[in-house]
Amino acid sequence: MIKKNSDYGIVLFETTQSAIKAEKVLIQAEIKIKMIPVPRHISANCGVSIRFDLSIADKIKSILDESNVQYSAIRSLM
Amino acid sequence: MNKILDARGWACPKPVIETRKALQTDKLLTVIVDNKPARENVSRLATKMNCKFSIDEKNDGIYIHIDCEGSEPIQETIQEEYITCETGKNIVLVVATDTVGKGSDELGGILMRAFMHTFLEVKPSPKTIIFMNNGVKLAIKGSPVLEDLQELSNRGIEILVCGTCTNYFGITDSVAVGIISNAYNIAEAMLNADKVVNL
Repeated sequence: MIKKNSDYGIVLFETTQSAIKAEKVLIQAEIKIKMIPVPRHISANCGVSIRFDLSIADKIKSILDESNVQYSAIRSLM
Repeated sequence: MNKILDARGWACPKPVIETRKALQTDKLLTVIVDNKPARENVSRLATKMNCKFSIDEKNDGIYIHIDCEGSEPIQETIQEEYITCETGKNIVLVVATDTVGKGSDELGGILMRAFMHTFLEVKPSPKTIIFMNNGVKLAIKGSPVLEDLQELSNRGIEILVCGTCTNYFGITDSVAVGIISNAYNIAEAMLNADKVVNL
């Protein structure tokens, strides 16, 4: 089954350090994620974001909150 | 008997667009094309649609047998990415490290992962990607960019992995994408390129 952008969510960060920290805690929690550049349609700024299956958005949010990782937004990739 | 779509003599992107239309009614289809871009476009479409296909190169054309039985029908309209009408420049990407740039390896690793993903989305695509030295570690089992490299390979991009390098690191058996290659093939790919991009 081919995944579409609408199946994914992304986490956006203020700093690259936060993105690195988020990636670590999510991998530790054995969540399947992927670090991708912030898509052009979302921001023209240079930056990395974390892509995940939209179905686990709540889980992502709670893990990041519990680990005190700062992020600027969790949203759909669309 | 498969239905046959004779796409010989058609200008790009007509072969892939007509294949797409024909597959809406016929699950088994043989498309006959007469050029490489058409072959790549039709093959890529079949891959994207989760259909099986095989290619027969005959004297009178390239026969692509597509079998979409059991695959999910895809209603989306054809996307631009299927349609490459020019073979374009021969760009060779040389990846001789698993991190981008000098400074922080942690940051360099992230940049590498981000770049490999981005190569799927931007044009023009490289024709060949060569992995050397630490770069070969990107092409092995468990690599964070393996999925992206496999997709690049599915799209027809040649991936060459330096055998001397995998041997040095003792990871030859773990190479999971591309062709394990030698200095001759790698040097030829570099010298035949219109442009070599080093990462």
